[in-house]
Amino acid sequence: MNWSHVKLIFHREVRDQLRDRRTMFTICILPLLLYPLMGMVMMQVAQFHREQHVSIGIFGNENWPSDSPLILESSDPSQIRWKTLTVDDAIGATLAQFHSVQAQTNSAVKNKSTQSYVVDGKAAEKLLRQVHCDAVIWVPPGYHNSISDNPLVILSNQRWERSQLAIRLLAEKLEGWHLSWIRTQLAWTELGTALVDPLAIRQLDVSPPEVKRALVWTKILPFVMLIWALTGAFYPAIDLCAGEKERGTLETLLCSPARRKEIVWGKLLTIMCFSVGTALLNLASMHTTTSIVMTQFSQLGATDMVASLGPLPLHSMGWLILLVIPISAMFSALALAVASLARSTKEGQYYLMPLLLVGMPLVMLPMIPGATLSPGTSVIPVTGAVLLSRALIDGEYGLALLHLPTVIAVTLFCCFLSKRWAIRQFESESVMFRDSERSSVAQWIRNFWRQREDTPTSNESIFCGLLILVSLFYGRLSMSGMPLSWTSVVQSTLFIQVGIILAPALIMATMLTRSVRKALRLHRPRPLEMLAAASLAVCLHPTYLAFAAAVGNEYKLGEQTTSMLMQFDSIVSSTPIWQVLLMLALIPAICEELVFRGFLFAGLQRNGGHLRAILVTAAFFGLSHGVLQQTITASVMGVMIGWIAYRSGGVASTIAFHATHNSISMILASCSSRGIHSPHWLSWAIEHSDGHLAYTSTWFTLSVGIAITLIAWFATRGFALSKPRTSIGMNNLREQRVTLSS
Amino acid sequence: MDFVQVQNLCKNYPDTALGEFKALDNVSFVAKAGEVFGLLGPNGAGKTTALRILATILRPSSGSVRIYNFDVSEQADLVRHSIGFVSNNTAIYDRMSAWELVEYFGRLYALPADRLYPRMEKIFRTLQMEEFRDCPGAKMSTGMKQKVSIARALIHDPPVLIFDEASLGLDVVVARALQSIVMDLRDQGKCIIYSTHIMREVERLCDHVAIIYKGKLIDTGTLEELADRHEQNDFEELFFQLLTKGDKGHFHTKPPIGLGMRTLNAPTFAQGSAP
Ligand SMILES: Nc1ncnc2c1ncn2[C@@H]1O[C@H](COP(=O)(O)OP(=O)(O)OP(=O)(O)O)[C@@H](O)[C@H]1O
Ligand SMILES: [Mg+2]
Repeated sequence: MNWSHVKLIFHREVRDQLRDRRTMFTICILPLLLYPLMGMVMMQVAQFHREQHVSIGIFGNENWPSDSPLILESSDPSQIRWKTLTVDDAIGATLAQFHSVQAQTNSAVKNKSTQSYVVDGKAAEKLLRQVHCDAVIWVPPGYHNSISDNPLVILSNQRWERSQLAIRLLAEKLEGWHLSWIRTQLAWTELGTALVDPLAIRQLDVSPPEVKRALVWTKILPFVMLIWALTGAFYPAIDLCAGEKERGTLETLLCSPARRKEIVWGKLLTIMCFSVGTALLNLASMHTTTSIVMTQFSQLGATDMVASLGPLPLHSMGWLILLVIPISAMFSALALAVASLARSTKEGQYYLMPLLLVGMPLVMLPMIPGATLSPGTSVIPVTGAVLLSRALIDGEYGLALLHLPTVIAVTLFCCFLSKRWAIRQFESESVMFRDSERSSVAQWIRNFWRQREDTPTSNESIFCGLLILVSLFYGRLSMSGMPLSWTSVVQSTLFIQVGIILAPALIMATMLTRSVRKALRLHRPRPLEMLAAASLAVCLHPTYLAFAAAVGNEYKLGEQTTSMLMQFDSIVSSTPIWQVLLMLALIPAICEELVFRGFLFAGLQRNGGHLRAILVTAAFFGLSHGVLQQTITASVMGVMIGWIAYRSGGVASTIAFHATHNSISMILASCSSRGIHSPHWLSWAIEHSDGHLAYTSTWFTLSVGIAITLIAWFATRGFALSKPRTSIGMNNLREQRVTLSS
Repeated sequence: MDFVQVQNLCKNYPDTALGEFKALDNVSFVAKAGEVFGLLGPNGAGKTTALRILATILRPSSGSVRIYNFDVSEQADLVRHSIGFVSNNTAIYDRMSAWELVEYFGRLYALPADRLYPRMEKIFRTLQMEEFRDCPGAKMSTGMKQKVSIARALIHDPPVLIFDEASLGLDVVVARALQSIVMDLRDQGKCIIYSTHIMREVERLCDHVAIIYKGKLIDTGTLEELADRHEQNDFEELFFQLLTKGDKGHFHTKPPIGLGMRTLNAPTFAQGSAP
């Protein structure tokens, strides 16, 4: 790599973007304007809200007891405007009507003198309109003599928002008066006022004020920043790829001495620059504006809000900046790869939505209440990094340090993958010089048949995988609950394995490819490899169990799932073992391998996409398991099996591996539940603990060693038998990803 | 010396409808130093495809292409230093001035400053680009853009120049200027591959021509040879005849490659003179 080319391209692109008014607007001007404007609007709204007054009319103001609070407080700058009204004849008649309502309900509310109850109805509404009040309170005559016998009558119209507010404010006032009234009454008795507040609670918050102030920020800021990082990456990416294609300048750049890789790096750094820049500018602008707005609010007296939204401590800004750089790098590479597909800037705009759909959940996940950094969340891209930064801001350095390596590894790996994808895109002729689609759908389908090849294309494979996942989803929904007998276990296994998993792949293999054998990667079994694969399964099983246990610890199984699994175990333990092995070990192994390491792998592996094939089939394999815990363990196992599939060039060895693995799990589980002890000659490897069969530590250690040896054997073994096509034959041109000279 | 050697070049594009599309089918030709080699053909013949392969932008599906004795697939870096590529879509950055653009490419070719700037001055003078050297690409006319594009292609003084329909959209005056530039370059001993639709240009400029149609090479040779072989002195008529023959499938299956010498002032095809 020639870094001087990268530097030159980077300089040019940055200068170019800085000269572009649209980019400058979205990236610099918008954040600088947006938040102050939003702040201004917020202030206006808040003031509008504060200055909203309600008017409450009082009938019979003279009837209050002498210590009534309402009239006293009418002079303070509260939101209530009191209106003393006199009862004339017409109103008196209406009120008398309510008096009868009151009389009916009187007994029920006898002991609650300030009970406000709402009377609706045409007469009340008319009255409210008549006196121009949001609510009316009537103090009946004789109220000052006996509060408890004469309930207050409050009229409101809950259809009016102001009326709702009036009732709320009135209730607060009456509540306060109510308590103080009780206090005064009690003071005269021997009981004393303690009866009113019998429970003394002192609540103390030990979190330091600056951390508490940052609490809301730590949730909101990463979200806002990363969304802007994504947007800030996307628009320059479109301009840098689709824009260059549109103007024809990409062609001249491609025949200049700059290699594809260098072009990608130059562009990537530019995009990253703008992505980070946008995110930081937004961060700064949002933070400054909010601080100013909050100062204003504190002057207005909204101290509780200020306490939770105060300025962020400086060191936490540092952590946020550290967070945004790697994530921006990843988003930039993704945006670049996606944007390179677009033929024009207009087409590029359409790709923003899918990118957001992928990015959003990862950014949103940490916002879920209770999401904290844990082994489980730290492996999720973006989410892990956001949670890590939050832990750092909260000063939980121990926790942060514990998960730092995982988060860094995951983030770097994602950055690496997306960068690699971007470079691949630039090296692919069909992406760089994509022709506009001219053909009709009918012709396309006809040619699908005519132009079949030996193996499926990667698109066909991915489609098959998605089809299986969707059918599994509906299939599982339709099979309500857990099978109750062995027969129904058999039925559902066959339905899922053969009907949902194998059938689509088989149908697609026969219809879309010329050779079912090659499409499913069936080759002549090689006994030695199969034996090695089976042994590897045996040796990896202890590690697998340990891993599964760790996953189970991290993501606890739900109660329902646990009881279902127990029920399943009891069914299995009352069935002959050979049937269990056939139905739950061998058949799933064959079906799943033919599909995931067969059909899907064959399509994804084309044109050197081995890593892609391994990772994507592992993901599909994992997702085909319904339970989250199984998804995780199966995905990891999927990577191992995928690698074996890649090294051995076919499915025979992976079937051996998979079937062995399943069989051991089944045998261990059913022996445990049947109470069968391990035979003597195996006591060095399997012991009985806690009513379960478990591996001894001797065997665990030994198995790891043997597993590594076997993996090394697979790694060094030539896989000449899976000879990749060397010449660019007619057949694999349909989806050719020719690597351009660079 | 053969600066450009194309042998049995094939190029297949993936195509959703047809599975694959043969844009070039077994094309061979040779172009020498100090000559203008015309690559002719109707729309969609595969000219741009061929030139892009020469420029290492696309990779050949099969066959070999050597430029300045470097292989386009294996020695792409060296090939890129030996060619200048001028495409029909003028390929100018909107927000970059003429001077900046040429400078940018000059630096990509790793020209040291003491060679780059004198050379830029010289090129800007010869191409009469001084008055718009600070004009941003968005404000340039097609003619100005094409000049910048040529300046960009010449900055590293490559032995082989590739012009893909460079005269597209140019007025008579600028087109003439372009022709004289091309002839100057030829006289400097450069090998120029020139693709065009305009037969008058071919008559003025080209020493050798290759005619391709639907991806296949129909005929190649000097203009004189072609005229003799097909007994037709009007080149446009000849071209048209060849295409109709091509449609019926009667063209030379193995056209002679790079025979004949350069013919100056061929009697039937007036050699163009500088305007
Ligand atoms: N990226 C591509 N993908 C698929 N087909 C393509 C691609 N580029 C060109 N083609 C097809 O290849 C054929 C040759 O195209 P090419 O651009 O080389 O023709 P041309 O001779 O330059 O035509 P014109 O005179 O119109 O410029 C055309 O039929 C075109 O549709
Ligand atoms: Mg063309």
